[in-house]
Amino acid sequence: MVTKVGTKGKTVAAPRKPWRKPWGAIALFIGPVMIAYAIFTVYPLLASIYYSFHKIQPIGPGKILYTFVGLENFKALLNDYRFTDFAVPNTLIWGAFGPVIEMITATTLALIVYFKVPFHRFYRTAWFLPQLVSGVIIGLVFRWIFNVDWGLLNVTLRAVGLDSLALNWLGRTDTPLWVVIFVHYWATFGYSFILLLAGLTTIPEELIEAAYIDGATRLQAIRRVLLPLLRPTFVTVLILSFMGKMRAFNVVWVLTGGGPIHRSETVATYVQKRAFNWTSLDLGYPSAMAVVWFGVVMISVGLITRWLRGQAEY
Amino acid sequence: MAVAQRTTRTKKNTLAKWRRRLVSVLVTIVLLALTLVVIVPFVWMLVISVRSTGEILNNPYGLPNPIRWQNYTKLFFDPEYRFYRYFFNSIFVSGFALLLNGVIATMGGYGFGRSRYDFKFRGLLLAALLGALMLPPQILYIPQFVMMSNYGLIGTRWALVLLYAVGALPVSVYLMATYFSQLPSELEDAARIDGCNDFGMFWRVMLPLARPAMATVILLNFMHFWNELLLAITMNPNPEMRTLPAQIFHFVGEHGVDYALAGASLVSAAAPVIVLYLFLSERFIEGLTAGAIKG
Repeated sequence: MVTKVGTKGKTVAAPRKPWRKPWGAIALFIGPVMIAYAIFTVYPLLASIYYSFHKIQPIGPGKILYTFVGLENFKALLNDYRFTDFAVPNTLIWGAFGPVIEMITATTLALIVYFKVPFHRFYRTAWFLPQLVSGVIIGLVFRWIFNVDWGLLNVTLRAVGLDSLALNWLGRTDTPLWVVIFVHYWATFGYSFILLLAGLTTIPEELIEAAYIDGATRLQAIRRVLLPLLRPTFVTVLILSFMGKMRAFNVVWVLTGGGPIHRSETVATYVQKRAFNWTSLDLGYPSAMAVVWFGVVMISVGLITRWLRGQAEY
Repeated sequence: MAVAQRTTRTKKNTLAKWRRRLVSVLVTIVLLALTLVVIVPFVWMLVISVRSTGEILNNPYGLPNPIRWQNYTKLFFDPEYRFYRYFFNSIFVSGFALLLNGVIATMGGYGFGRSRYDFKFRGLLLAALLGALMLPPQILYIPQFVMMSNYGLIGTRWALVLLYAVGALPVSVYLMATYFSQLPSELEDAARIDGCNDFGMFWRVMLPLARPAMATVILLNFMHFWNELLLAITMNPNPEMRTLPAQIFHFVGEHGVDYALAGASLVSAAAPVIVLYLFLSERFIEGLTAGAIKG
């Protein structure tokens, strides 16, 4: 509002110039983001899809040969025992068990800490520590902890007389995958826990107090009030956890490298091997693998979302 | 917290009270045990870093005697290991990536956050940007490797600087945009009256106000850049320009089985982020939970 001259001191709205959108400024501010994003994220995504239909071989310094092969790579995937018999089942087992265990434990812990047990602040700080540290560090430390001869775990087991349990955790065929799942869980549960705790704290306290006034016990308050209201956060965290397990690389790679003989191979480690650690260099095949797996994960996420969100909206 | 329930003192209530105490104690024991499992690997890593490999293999539990601080000086400065170099590479890469990401993301957040810059497809563009969070690294890093190879950036630190900076854009832009969208618009009007153009408004008025959000973004991104492994090992097949995680990964392979030194390398790489966290835990958590929580 502007006082226009000559209106006897009354305040009137000055006629405004038609406001033109500041396109220059818009371009200046969001231009760099979108351009950088297009070059380094969108283009590689499209390139991966392009690669998956080709055979890509370096044939000399700086020269790469692209040969169109249509669906060959995808057909080869179905016939590749390392993919169909190890990488995929392992990753799927992980994607099925991991998030379930993580969500149950993280939610329980979040609820416990939410009710402010003694030392709750200490727990919150401590349980987040594994998230701060590189996967390489976690993988190495646990590789040593699980060492069959002098690792912390087996030495402890032998010290208390449980020699029979002091297995060759990383060397047998049946245990490495579970060691991987455990170590990765150790590394990531803190994140889920923190997210769920944050979700709990956004629930207005009056609702819980109202439940108490109505005579609910703590357990009933949890079941009838907190958990339902936590649901959106829960679903988000579940999906994040699921996606994380389906694409996890760092810890697995350092802990077992996918071994022994593929027993802890995941799709992520196998892509790495085919792309950069294989005798015959071809970037098309691992690209096809990555594209297929991305599709699988996205479809799974869609299904999970639909299943969980479709239930009882009140 | 919860409204206290008043009860009269009866035998049943006293029993219930003792049961509650027992449960509380049990819960505390379980939680402390769990915390132990979380903390022990860190402590062990610290302890073995100041022992000798022979001692570790003999008795992994033993306490350092003597405390071999020289493991660290050896790791960092001995010509065979020269860890100071990788520390420097990590700082270099993280620093420039933070700078690049900071500039682009702050401007982007401003452009996406202020209502005066809204246009028909802005929401769509932002959604497309955030969609990148669904992309696993596997579907990006092979072409990224080829790109960097074509630019001649494999084996340099700049490959990582670029990829880290852009990789962190979705989260950073989202955080900044959310923050900027909550600032009152009177500030821009005031700046406009004072004769500022758009960039002036940004530079002189909004940016200084954005410091808290920028601090969160920087902290969060620093952690991710410092710890990143996949791209680090892909872009640096040769040791010279490797960052800490990449070199640590190759360390045990290249230097046989000197576990004490390896332990020291782990501690050195873990220390910066942990120290920052112990001072700034609230900021960390705030940054990491923003956006994932409805409400």
